[in-house]
Amino acid sequence: MRRNWKFYSQLGLTIVLCLFIVVPVVMSALAGVTVNVFQGLSSGFTLRWIIEVLDLYTDSILLSLWIALVCLVVTLVVGVPLAYVLVRRPGRWTRLFEELLTLPVAIPGLALALALLITYGGVSGYRSSWLFILTGHVLFTLPFMVRSVAAVMSAMDMKMLEEGAASLGAGFWRRFFTVIVPNAKPGILAGALMVVTLSIGEFNLTWMLHTPLTKTLPVGLADAYASMRLEIGSAYTLIFFVLIMPLLIAMQTLADRGKRASKRIDTAEDTL
Amino acid sequence: MTTQIKLRDCAKTFADGTRALAPFDLTIEGGETIVLLGPSGCGKTTILRMIAGLEFPDKGGVITFDGDDVTHQSIEKRRVGMVFQSYALFPNMTVAQNVAYGLKVHGVSRDESDARVKAMLEMMHIEMLADRAIDQLSGGQRQRVALARAIAVQPRVLLLDEPLTALDAKLRVRLRTEINALLRKLGITAVYVTHDQEEAMALGDRIVVMQKGEIAQIGTPRDIYRKPQNPFVADFVGAANRLDGQMRDGRLHIGNHVFDAVDAFDPRHGAIIDQGPVELFFRADGLSTCDAQDADFTGRVEAVSYLGERLRLTVSGIGPQSVMVDTHADDVIAAGADVHCQINPDRLTIFPAMRERTPAASDAR
Repeated sequence: MRRNWKFYSQLGLTIVLCLFIVVPVVMSALAGVTVNVFQGLSSGFTLRWIIEVLDLYTDSILLSLWIALVCLVVTLVVGVPLAYVLVRRPGRWTRLFEELLTLPVAIPGLALALALLITYGGVSGYRSSWLFILTGHVLFTLPFMVRSVAAVMSAMDMKMLEEGAASLGAGFWRRFFTVIVPNAKPGILAGALMVVTLSIGEFNLTWMLHTPLTKTLPVGLADAYASMRLEIGSAYTLIFFVLIMPLLIAMQTLADRGKRASKRIDTAEDTL
Repeated sequence: MTTQIKLRDCAKTFADGTRALAPFDLTIEGGETIVLLGPSGCGKTTILRMIAGLEFPDKGGVITFDGDDVTHQSIEKRRVGMVFQSYALFPNMTVAQNVAYGLKVHGVSRDESDARVKAMLEMMHIEMLADRAIDQLSGGQRQRVALARAIAVQPRVLLLDEPLTALDAKLRVRLRTEINALLRKLGITAVYVTHDQEEAMALGDRIVVMQKGEIAQIGTPRDIYRKPQNPFVADFVGAANRLDGQMRDGRLHIGNHVFDAVDAFDPRHGAIIDQGPVELFFRADGLSTCDAQDADFTGRVEAVSYLGERLRLTVSGIGPQSVMVDTHADDVIAAGADVHCQINPDRLTIFPAMRERTPAASDAR
């Protein structure tokens, strides 16, 4: 097939747009390993900045990972049963609850943080602990878990699967853990990756909620940009990148696999 | 060991106030196959779900299994086997794991469970599918797995909710024959829900015909077919032709024709119909084509369908609605022609005419 000028002009436009987005990322990453960014790449490459960031901010990075992990556990324990109830018992109240649940996504993180500060700011032990940040992260990420799990659950005719299991003698919890949860696994996995990614990268809320002793990775990043050499900020970005990319790729892969599974056609022959 | 099931005074009103079932009594003998037959929305599935423990009767209703009151028992405790129209197999498990699920729940030992799963799969002729995933199976194979899974736990009663409806026609007949053989072999009490009259006839020891939440007739397939007790049943089991008539002094008048020796017994009132307007129901064999001089009626052919072993004519001008008449497959008759028909009085089912004909009877077809 001969390609005409339309194809090439569209290809060109696409490449230009991609470069527009990709080049700053590459520049920033390079800046993190350049000896002196103002002299350019000719000044040579170094790992010095990365080591410096790790020296200064390892605590923040570990705290972020820890919060993300605990946040994941909480959203799993709360979110999966919640999604089940929302799908299994649709009605006015569950609808209302779902709206409420989604609210933290819709309102600005700053407003949510302010509300938390006004309410619990006086509880000193709580205010100054990482649990305060965790609260914000759970509020913010829970709807993503619930939505993701509920989407898979509403596609699988849970009522009938449960009736089938119940007729075989399985009580509620056994049905839940042997039939419902395993079949909702794609949604749970997708939700889990989303929660971890969002929690690690969350800035708005966290910036308001943090104390000097409870700084997370993105808050540290802002800190580095504001108060240190550009190279250090860039090196920090590079580390953040390395942490978050595998998660994003895993998420994409999962989504693709889900799509392929639902596309698979029933090819078995009715020979019996 | 078979289980007798009794439902006493069971009615069902849903939360929104709709009456799904009027109070009814039904006894299912141990080892018997009962078919609940009726159009959609007639309440047949609600009865099945009541026996299963997925719905509960309104206050006052009692359900017993062999005399044990199970009215308030949940489905997990009732030991029922269920087969659903859309299979309800667990997609996260293989065929063998699906069949073993109930055994595991009941705490059957690993060795015994393995042996029983193997026997079940062999019985359903699907032993080669044991390690397949559910989404690699065809509809017919899935329903076999569902049957094996339901039977594996040795339930007190097997409940089948339109199990063949999702399958294509040829497979439906084949699996129906197999289910029939299976039910006889197991000698298990079974309740089978369907809207397909042929399926009901083929499988049921007795058939319960349902209409709008009430039992219209209970009887053997032969009874239901030959002696429908009301217009709804007659219509539903295929006697779709209808004519109006009059009984005068024990003789049947249709238009200007008078017929003697008609069996005009009204089963609902247990009396011979001697006088008054009647409705006649009959199948395509209730009328036959004949020469002009022997004709009771003459009508006009509206449509001709070639059914292979016979020719089915749709004829207008005889009754208020057009009627079906069967004739020899070799006859050459075209739409628009006049046709002469004779009536076979002994093939008629006669009911006293109701002031208002129930719309359900004609909607059902």
